[in-house]
Amino acid sequence: MAEAGTVLYYIVTLFAASIRMAVPLTLAGLGESFSERSGVLNIGLEGIMLSGAFFSFMAAYITQSIIVGVIFGCFGGLLISMIHAYMSFKCYVDQVIVGIALNFFSLGLTSFLFMAYFGRTTTVPQCPVVKPIRIPLLSDIPIVGDVLFNQDIFVYFMIFACFVSYIILYKTVWGTNIDAIGEHPKAADTVGLNVKKTRYITAIINGCLGGLGGAYLTLALLGFFMENITSGKGFIALVVVILGRRHPFGVLFAALLVGAAEALQYRLQTLGSGLPSQVFIMLPYVVTVIVLLFSIGKSNDPAALGISYKRSSR
Amino acid sequence: MKYTKELVSTLIIILITFLLAAVLIIVAKYDPGMALQSFFYGIFGSLHGFAEIMVRATPLILAGLGVSVAFSTGFFNIGAEGQLYMGAIAITFVGVFLPPMPPMLHIAVAILAGFLLGGIWAVIPGFLKAKYGVSEIITTIMFNYIAINIVGILVRTVLKNTESALPYSPVMPKSLSFPLLLYPTRLHGGLILALACAVLIYIIMKKTTIGYELRVVGFNKRAGTCSGISVYKNIVLASLISGGLAGLAGVSEIAGVHHRLLEGISPGYGYIAIIVALMGRNHPMGVIISAIGLSALQVGANSMQRQAGIPTSITSVLMGVIVLLALGKNIMFSGILKKMRIK
Repeated sequence: MAEAGTVLYYIVTLFAASIRMAVPLTLAGLGESFSERSGVLNIGLEGIMLSGAFFSFMAAYITQSIIVGVIFGCFGGLLISMIHAYMSFKCYVDQVIVGIALNFFSLGLTSFLFMAYFGRTTTVPQCPVVKPIRIPLLSDIPIVGDVLFNQDIFVYFMIFACFVSYIILYKTVWGTNIDAIGEHPKAADTVGLNVKKTRYITAIINGCLGGLGGAYLTLALLGFFMENITSGKGFIALVVVILGRRHPFGVLFAALLVGAAEALQYRLQTLGSGLPSQVFIMLPYVVTVIVLLFSIGKSNDPAALGISYKRSSR
Repeated sequence: MKYTKELVSTLIIILITFLLAAVLIIVAKYDPGMALQSFFYGIFGSLHGFAEIMVRATPLILAGLGVSVAFSTGFFNIGAEGQLYMGAIAITFVGVFLPPMPPMLHIAVAILAGFLLGGIWAVIPGFLKAKYGVSEIITTIMFNYIAINIVGILVRTVLKNTESALPYSPVMPKSLSFPLLLYPTRLHGGLILALACAVLIYIIMKKTTIGYELRVVGFNKRAGTCSGISVYKNIVLASLISGGLAGLAGVSEIAGVHHRLLEGISPGYGYIAIIVALMGRNHPMGVIISAIGLSALQVGANSMQRQAGIPTSITSVLMGVIVLLALGKNIMFSGILKKMRIK
């Protein structure tokens, strides 16, 4: 009986951890979905998350306030996203290349400022971390209660954001406009939709949500910052978007899948199998590639994805 | 007049880059005078500095050439870092498991193995892209992380030096080392390999039908298909050449610098190679020049770190900004250029 209890406990914590690991991927993935639906491919998502993680950490460390941290996390993501928007909408530079350059920029800037502020310390500077909120009654349901209703505020926000995104994208005129602009900006422009404005707005959404995703790493999962803390999470979020076919709940589901691989990886590492830890560390990346293979042939990319729209061009 | 415009734009970019560096250094409360002095001393101050620039430029040229071939064919290979590590793994396997051979043959086998393994690491994403349209940007990046972890696994298991507790391979035999070119500096024969590859790539890309077809596919897939050029074949070929060259960068790092496999042999050469290819406009000569330029930037930054304590990550900021400015210059600077009456 006791053994069944431990196994159950193990499974419950694994599920709960999978959900937490999925939060940064889902938030960033939702933002990128908005952006890609309007035809803007932002490979700089890694940079957005990293910047969000850094600025949220610094703000939370200095003010000791999580709310300030969250606001600055959004701001950090927005910073990168707005440069991407300016470069690709105003200067018509290839969106992929801008994204690559911004990843460099963000990695350099965050590491530089972090090193400059803290110097070479032996102690890791810590920032405050969000606490789980137990939802009364619902959290008393066995298993499901512990997995779903005893989480931190970001997890609840993630689910809320999925619903809101779904309503915006599928039940409002503006959502349809986004799709129209992503499919055929010229036609959308001709019927009077404002291509540039819409793409700027989706870029703002992308920056804020991506920054929040990064902020979750520092303000909830880790409580500290280090160089390249996102280590590819932004790219994994891009896969989540492809696999989830830019549908909010698809994104959530895909993120849960990769999140589970990540949660499992941490547990396997501590199990002490005698294998080098790298075997487990690479698990999420391998899973991501495999997951990507499952999306073969189901592509529903917006027709104008990654192509800058120039009004005067034919 | 076109050249005047180019020249002025370039000068503006250099000016902005220096200003940004100065702002970062001053905001972070470092000594800007000391920074400037140590930056230029690191680059021009000694023979060692010159050699160090060439040592770092070697893998950048090789991997940068690889990325440029891929980019010319419209294959966004972001995976040079992983392909470089695969090349390093290949030469280590040759050194550890193959029987002793005459020096020239030994190094030739290692170069071939490095090219092939690096190539295979890029052909998988290339095949997935060409056949199924899977985004190569994602797969190549994931393959970077996987390759780096494979190195970590190998140096702890199959390739581990049993006489040491640390995770690295045994030292490679003498026959697998590049000769030193400028004793006592670290400058090694890998540079000659890199320059030879640049010439070869120039000939292939600009003077042969193979290169022509690769570039057509990169320029306009539809036009290629219509004139009987196989998009599939060329993307796979481009990824093979691209990954192979990045693999050679890994071979060169082991044979010329480290002489054994260990983790972290590349301080992001594979990623910087992307910038090298972009700044070099996918032309072999441009790749060589931008590789040396970016290498000098790093050597200068290392010197700034040693003498003024400034974190080297400042180079990543500057590289990102340089690329953005270089690509957006025509529109960004149009106002300034108009004021200066330069058409």
